[in-house]
Amino acid sequence: MKCNVINTPVHNVDGIAKVTGRATYTFDVTVPGMLFGKILRSPHPHARIKNIDASAALALNGVRAVVTGKDTLGIKQGIWRRYKELCDEQILPLEKVRYIGEPVAAVAADTEEIAEQALDLIEVDYEVLPAVYDPMEAIKKEAPEIHEGFERNINVTRHIEWGDVDDAFDEADYIREDWFRCSGQAHACMETRCAVASYTADGKLAVWTSTQSAYYHQVLLADVLGLKESDVRVIAKYVGGGFGGKFELDAAQFCSSVLSMKLCKPVKIVFTREEDFIASKRRTPMYYYVRTGVKKDGTFLAREARVFTDGGAYTGMGATALYLTGFFHSFPYKWRGYRHDGFRVYTNTLPSTSMRGFGTPHATYCSELQIDLIAKELGLDRIEIRRKNGHTPNYEVPGQATIASCGLEQCLDEIEKWIKSRGELPPNRGIGISSYGFMSGGIFNRFDTPYSFSSAVVTINYDGKVDLHVGAQDIGQGSNTTLAIICAEDLGVRLEDIRVHSGDTAECPPDLGAWGSRQTLMAGNAVKMAAGEAKRQLLEFAAAQMSPNIVYDLDIKDRWVHLAGRPERGLDYFEVVKKALRGKDGQRIMGRGYYTPHRKGMISPAYSYGVQALEIDVDPETGKIKLLNCVTAHDCGQPINPLGLTGQLEGAISMAAGYGFLEDIPIEDGMVMNPNLVDYKLIRAPDMPETEVIEIETYEPEGPFGAKEAGEGLTNPTAAALATAVLDAVGVPIKELPITPEKVLNALKEKKAQ
Amino acid sequence: MRTFEYLKPASVNKALALLDLYGDQAKLIAGGTDVMVQWKKRIISPQVLISLRNLAELSFIKFGGGLEIGAGTTHRALELSPEIREHFPVIHDAVSNLGSVQVRNSGTIGGNICNAAPSADTAPPLLVLDTNVRIASTKGERTVAIRDFFRGPSRTVLQTGELVTLFSIPAPLPRTGMAYSKHTRRKAMDLPIVGVAVLLSFEEDLKTCRKAAIALGVAAPTPMRAANAEAFLAGKPVDKTTLLEAGKIASEEASPRTTIRGSAWYRKEIIRVLVRRTGLICMERAKGAARS
Ligand SMILES: Cc1cc2nc3c(=O)[nH]c(=O)nc-3n(C[C@H](O)[C@H](O)[C@H](O)COP(=O)(O)OP(=O)(O)OC[C@H]3O[C@@H](n4cnc5c(N)ncnc54)[C@H](O)[C@@H]3O)c2cc1C
Repeated sequence: MKCNVINTPVHNVDGIAKVTGRATYTFDVTVPGMLFGKILRSPHPHARIKNIDASAALALNGVRAVVTGKDTLGIKQGIWRRYKELCDEQILPLEKVRYIGEPVAAVAADTEEIAEQALDLIEVDYEVLPAVYDPMEAIKKEAPEIHEGFERNINVTRHIEWGDVDDAFDEADYIREDWFRCSGQAHACMETRCAVASYTADGKLAVWTSTQSAYYHQVLLADVLGLKESDVRVIAKYVGGGFGGKFELDAAQFCSSVLSMKLCKPVKIVFTREEDFIASKRRTPMYYYVRTGVKKDGTFLAREARVFTDGGAYTGMGATALYLTGFFHSFPYKWRGYRHDGFRVYTNTLPSTSMRGFGTPHATYCSELQIDLIAKELGLDRIEIRRKNGHTPNYEVPGQATIASCGLEQCLDEIEKWIKSRGELPPNRGIGISSYGFMSGGIFNRFDTPYSFSSAVVTINYDGKVDLHVGAQDIGQGSNTTLAIICAEDLGVRLEDIRVHSGDTAECPPDLGAWGSRQTLMAGNAVKMAAGEAKRQLLEFAAAQMSPNIVYDLDIKDRWVHLAGRPERGLDYFEVVKKALRGKDGQRIMGRGYYTPHRKGMISPAYSYGVQALEIDVDPETGKIKLLNCVTAHDCGQPINPLGLTGQLEGAISMAAGYGFLEDIPIEDGMVMNPNLVDYKLIRAPDMPETEVIEIETYEPEGPFGAKEAGEGLTNPTAAALATAVLDAVGVPIKELPITPEKVLNALKEKKAQ
Repeated sequence: MRTFEYLKPASVNKALALLDLYGDQAKLIAGGTDVMVQWKKRIISPQVLISLRNLAELSFIKFGGGLEIGAGTTHRALELSPEIREHFPVIHDAVSNLGSVQVRNSGTIGGNICNAAPSADTAPPLLVLDTNVRIASTKGERTVAIRDFFRGPSRTVLQTGELVTLFSIPAPLPRTGMAYSKHTRRKAMDLPIVGVAVLLSFEEDLKTCRKAAIALGVAAPTPMRAANAEAFLAGKPVDKTTLLEAGKIASEEASPRTTIRGSAWYRKEIIRVLVRRTGLICMERAKGAARS
């Protein structure tokens, strides 16, 4: 398709505001009369709250209020609103604390310092209870009970199965089983969790916050505060990163709201970096058992897997984690029989939740490393074994999903070519590969929204400039830019003609927000529909004006309204708009659009695919890994903004490589041991490999202009590619993430000793 | 409320007078890159901060065969000094990979040493250089060899009322090579899992070791010299084999801890490897210096 705006590299539409410091993040919001809030947190991993005495704190000059669970409605909340048993978290608990760092009280004071000092003056009387920190310990019979009524602390199970698994194993020539352990990861957003809540005497609450879904937070806040949804307004014009960690209700949002409602004054709460590390949520750690049966020639027959996820103290998104890791552990391969059993286990640690890739980086790591071990064992080529078993267009994952577009095979071809071009490698150098796939728009309606999944409104003003209202949330990933491009393309105007309005529930139509790689496809389709509707109205008027032969179609391209077959016959877009507006009795031209998936399987309307190769050096004496080159062949359908795509790719590699070999959240006796940026090792620019992306263009019929997701799936392969690279370089499989120098050196020593 | 008074004396003498006045209620602050972190974490809560920032008296690099470095000299100033780079590359190695440029612009060598972290990057280099630490108080001056300066993690021989004014380094012997290696998880902005400084002076044959100095960071409660390994090398021809052995001995002398930053066994392993590798760099540098 010939596009005017799509596939042209552009900077983000909010780039200037950001680089000139004009963008107002929640962190920057000040409201007249604003107070500052601080949260008192539990020092115990598991304890009963016997009494809280705030009198000394309240006596401190400048302290305005202290709230505890008793000042709340005590509602157990959660993001899985459809299933009440999965809603188990009181953000200010009434009876028990279940992890170190859990909020127990909140203070509002004239300054942050006074609020902090007041925390020291609150007396909490705890009865300390026995605690458990590891899921494999927590499922033991004698383990302490973290929530009442969950045997062995298992709160969600999930079974996925298709085909005759046992039959398929019977036919296998070779069966391999392995245990893997996947670590957690912090979202480590530049902007920590924060909120400014302002409740006014008219009963209305406005909350500025850092969120991936303003709509979710509007509803979640209304639920727990006993307000009408429409009386809650959530504003999130700029968000400093989310990565899956900012669509559940957090303590900054909740406590500032409770305090504000009590005082009728605005209250701001900003988490410190340490609070963000110990008491927000994290990527779900997992123990994985994988058993795979194949034929001698490498044909995949059966796979059976069990996963125990470390859910931490509350459920949050945990049920989704189980399902996604279970489903994507099969990806992107065809299995005659597949069985996956997931167990989500409560522990006395900070809760786990979604994070970019959501269950899939783990699933991919275990799967790809095992596939390489199988290929090695059977003497098969590792590209060939992937090609032989990979998904193909129009493949149906039995009972789960139908794949439309799929460029996996082309991706494998490109990566094979690249690996060959590297020639003979020096000692201790290796290239790892990983295939991967991901959803392009999560379908799950755990939230039970009655609204369309995405909505958009396109308004054309008298001067031809366009206001685009979307509920989709820009969290730095560039969705406002992507949606503006789609709008401009469809309407036939330029990108600079569009002004995007997002991140305000009072202004914008509802949308589920930025998760599940859904916005390009779902909000993109809604925008396209809205733009199409506005365009239709314009063209009706233009047709009346131009009165062409009725068989002609009209179109708009680059601000030129013309006959589709005869572009020289046309009118200036701006002139047409002016006249059309008068013709409509002064009404602006408005189009509305929406998207809700129907009959698109259980997971997603479309899937992205890719293959990544990662070249590394291993220092055999120290176990240290150096990332050299990372090449990704990636099928995201039609790219919308190539520059945005590169940004997403590089960002994903840095996050995923960090997960693979640097980042970890060690917990000792329930305490996060590295709640700072010195010991929580985010990858930095000098550690990044050279990156290259090879775009495999496919056309996804379900996506706007053929587009699919491009930001999240890319997080899936890198830990896997790193593990297979270490295997390639020095011959040891590291079955535990992150792949630290210590683990590599230890494995090399063991290998030598054998 | 948790506050402090910030005092900025105009000279070292005035700073010393203030130290006398406030005693244990005062804390010196130079670049503040350790002090402010500790204050925020509530590890320290002094009532008065006495700032040494921008005191010209404390900020200098005097080269004349030997070297004098004012305690208030920033890491960045050391990094950019051509004399240090050429004649004391072991210091350059350490300061050019300490924290980030921002940290190096603020942080000082005096702060790094007086903070007395086992991981202080400039400690092993100053140790192999047999540095003398000049200490001042209102009562006068004293000098302490750096090997006697550290008393434990965050503990030094400094008494209330004292501050460090300068580090004095004797001229190295001819045909000397020196280097510092820092083992980290990341390439930048990282503290050492272990740090190893080696200094080797050679006889005229450029092979036989006349003097060896080996210092280890994060290998014990304080930065330490590996005396046994040094003794082993002295008088021996230096090559891969002897360096390997020296590494083994040094690693046995070390008593590192297991922390989240690294296990004790791993630290020992790395000391073994780094002593050899750093020794080899010293040999190269000694040869290079002899040629020029
Ligand atoms: C992000 C970051 C990264 C870092 N990376 C590294 C690293 O890679 N390697 C490393 O070794 N360190 C690192 N540090 C620690 C720190 O930067 C260094 O230790 C620095 O040299 C401290 O110097 P300063 O001038 O900032 O000391 P300050 O913080 O001002 O003082 C440190 C201590 O020394 C005392 N002090 C200062 N000057 C004197 C004096 N003249 N006499 C007596 N006592 C004095 C102070 O009272 C205090 O106890 C890092 C710090 C940060 C924040």
